[in-house]
Amino acid sequence: MKDLARLAIDTAQARGASYADARAIELTREDIQVKNGEVGGLDLGASAGIGVRVLVQGAWGFSATDDLTKDGIERCAASAVSIGRASASLEHDAVRLAPEPGHRAVWASQCAKDPFQVSLETKLDLLFRIDSEMRAVQGVKNAESFLSFQRKHQYFLSTEGADIEQTLTRSGGGFSATAVSPDDVQRRSFPQAEGFHQALGYEFIEATPYVQNARRIAEESVALLTAEQCPAGERDIILEGSQLALQIHESVGHPTELDRVLGMEANYAGTSFLTLEKQGKLQFGSRLVNLVADATLPHALATFGFDDDGVQAQRWPIVRDGLFVGYLTSRELAHRVGEDRSKGCVRSDGWFHIPMIRMVNLSLMPGSGSLEDLLADTGDGLLMETNRSWSIDQLRYNFQFKTELAWEIRKGKRVRMLKNPTYQGITTGFWNSCDFICGPEEWKPWGVTNCGKGQPGQVAEITHGAAPARFRKVTVGVGYED
Amino acid sequence: MQKQEAKAILDRAISLARGAEIEVMLGGGTDALTRFANNEITQNVEERRYLLSVRILQGKRTGRATGNDLSEKGIARLIERAAEATRHQPEIPDLLPLPGPQRYRQVDALDPETESLGADARAREVGKAVARCREAGLEGAGIYEVRAGTIGDYGEIGPLAIANSRGLFAYHMGTSAEFLVSALDGMASGWAGYESHSARGVDGSALSKRAVEKAARSRGPKAWDPGRYTVVLEPAAVADLLQDMSWISFGALLVQEGRSFLSGKIGQKVMGENITLSDDPFHPLHRGSPFDAEGMPTVPTTILSRGVAKSAVYDRQTAAKEGRESTGHGLPVPNTYGPIARHLVLEGGTGGVEDLIRRVDRGLLVTRVWYTNVVDPKTVTLTGMTRDGLFAIEKGKVTHGVRNFRFNQSVVEMLNQVEAMSAQEAAGGVVCPGLLVHGFQMSSATEF
Repeated sequence: MKDLARLAIDTAQARGASYADARAIELTREDIQVKNGEVGGLDLGASAGIGVRVLVQGAWGFSATDDLTKDGIERCAASAVSIGRASASLEHDAVRLAPEPGHRAVWASQCAKDPFQVSLETKLDLLFRIDSEMRAVQGVKNAESFLSFQRKHQYFLSTEGADIEQTLTRSGGGFSATAVSPDDVQRRSFPQAEGFHQALGYEFIEATPYVQNARRIAEESVALLTAEQCPAGERDIILEGSQLALQIHESVGHPTELDRVLGMEANYAGTSFLTLEKQGKLQFGSRLVNLVADATLPHALATFGFDDDGVQAQRWPIVRDGLFVGYLTSRELAHRVGEDRSKGCVRSDGWFHIPMIRMVNLSLMPGSGSLEDLLADTGDGLLMETNRSWSIDQLRYNFQFKTELAWEIRKGKRVRMLKNPTYQGITTGFWNSCDFICGPEEWKPWGVTNCGKGQPGQVAEITHGAAPARFRKVTVGVGYED
Repeated sequence: MQKQEAKAILDRAISLARGAEIEVMLGGGTDALTRFANNEITQNVEERRYLLSVRILQGKRTGRATGNDLSEKGIARLIERAAEATRHQPEIPDLLPLPGPQRYRQVDALDPETESLGADARAREVGKAVARCREAGLEGAGIYEVRAGTIGDYGEIGPLAIANSRGLFAYHMGTSAEFLVSALDGMASGWAGYESHSARGVDGSALSKRAVEKAARSRGPKAWDPGRYTVVLEPAAVADLLQDMSWISFGALLVQEGRSFLSGKIGQKVMGENITLSDDPFHPLHRGSPFDAEGMPTVPTTILSRGVAKSAVYDRQTAAKEGRESTGHGLPVPNTYGPIARHLVLEGGTGGVEDLIRRVDRGLLVTRVWYTNVVDPKTVTLTGMTRDGLFAIEKGKVTHGVRNFRFNQSVVEMLNQVEAMSAQEAAGGVVCPGLLVHGFQMSSATEF
């Protein structure tokens, strides 16, 4: 594969590209689902191919192929160059890439127990044990559980001398119980909605207490059918870590992507309210709020040695003491914020798609105190757990989330379960109302594995570390007022 | 990929399986997309890829392996992996055997000119769109995408050809072209789009003109209070809401499991009398595949007729549970999601959106919606944002831009409050009209 990547960039250069890079990737997947006592899906996937990206007269071209013959690669590289020429045929500012050494490196994520060497019987046994626990609870309509494993082996070569080999392995899984009545559908999930994933091997699955939590989660799904509706109004809310992770993702991560800020996603995902003049000036959140981008976070989903621009992984602040200070950047756009080096945020979801700015791991730094301390400090509020739906506007300003469950808190105690809790707010007002963030003992690296962006659409995986936090006077119960 | 080439690959796989019960599905093709923003081309890509998915059945066991190595060695490895996956799993008691040969309606969906449209031609059309934006002093952003095959279908890659060891063989090749353009003036924006199986109708200049006009009208939007409004939803907005509704409502498994608003209501009146909704890949504005991921022929299915719930869409498994035939809406087997209606057709009226606007005394014109998601599945309550052109309608005329709203609206309730419809068009993967709707719930405002 490496030789094919070399052939691709040599061909592109010979045909007139001023810059070329090639990513030769072998992707292996294993996805197993169990539903209501039966295997709901079992797919072993493998894919290999090459994506060639070129600059011609200062404009981008990209072509990808799974024809891994010499002719196929040469055709693909030639196609990338002609596409680049077509891009350059319209008036444009020539792309300027921020300098980066041509790294030569080998990097791999940690994987103690290769998930692809663990037998299917072992994996199915775990899923069927989870399934049995859930289905032992009367009233559960659907018990669904899954395991998912992925390995990406990639060579990145560029005409600037980069020669990088990376292997990323990730493992994850989760389950959910759904209960149904004639006019209601309630769901509970564990450890978070869409499962919990990390860049680790099967040891990560073994360390997660799936079976031990299956019955409780199933019971909660049934209990939600008869729980009181979360009343509409203004309440202090506490978000548990996995919901807060999605809040970070949608309201901090996406608006700080510099391509969005500069209008490059305007037709699809939208732009951003965090325009350039706000950097270093906007009080994004309360002084407790510190958000850090970190492509070096151990075992995280967006941790790598080098991004798909060939830039080494970095760690830097996005919000410091509540002040908005940093963007997610690329070699192409770093100069637009006066920086002479990219922060290394460029990734693609496969050999067949062009790399673009994607979030790296973005986490809310812990404060102090346990969740019980936070509850004890809350006279009247709602503790909201596990995402059920999400929506945010095209500037990343007005958001609305629904969680699977809320606990009403009175005088520091959980007094009753509430169903259909929703909350809505404006990003800056919300983060400025944050007045308590739990400490490191409550901080977990939650994940998002379904982040969509770009045309054609690409899916990215990102970790967002968070501990439970409290937000004051938030609008709740939206969508259920009548 | 031509039919003969696809068939040769599938036949090779069946022959390599040496008599095993096997289903083989081939998907893929090419996807070329020119993306522009700030009045210049920012990304310009082309991908060519195929995926072969092999499913083995051993009695009541089944397993699948997927890969893109189409060589004989690669196919043999896939079969081996699928057999391995099958061997090690427990039985699925109600697993169905593979279906035999089927008959399919032909769909004329392949336009050779579209298939061969290159980056230069796409750049020229983008150039015309950008020129309009430049003339108006606006920033243009959008895409011109041309596909041949099934990249992007079924979430990733859909079936181009399917065969199995019982003699079934299905093949469908189509093209598609989509041109979308946004014109931006600071926070004001306008949008227009076109989609078809053929690129011949793409007119970057005309689309850009529409987007520019909308953006110009959007300048200096006024703040209106949240509340219930009479709205005119353009087809792109209607399409988005119907797509979400389909995902959580129209599949037979959702209905059987009690998770759909249609559960227990087939035969009952659930919408206004003016609502007739079907799933029909043969509609001339769809030209979709005539078969599903099980190789079953897709049958046009009336879901709602004059407001009465008629039928869900079925795959073989859900159909067997009710002792009826599949309607050909299945996903790859086995799956946990059940069948999906992917070619919605909402019957419309006559005339254009402007005719709907004329009927409104005071209300809002919604160009499109964004980031919709489900708040409540049983009432099909969705939340989302208005986008790229929200306007006041006063005394039958569009008068000024309005700051965007977040909405929380039951689509079931909405389809009970439709006063009038425009003619159908293709938008967002749906064939539907614009709608004049009363009492649409705008729940909170933004500052743009």
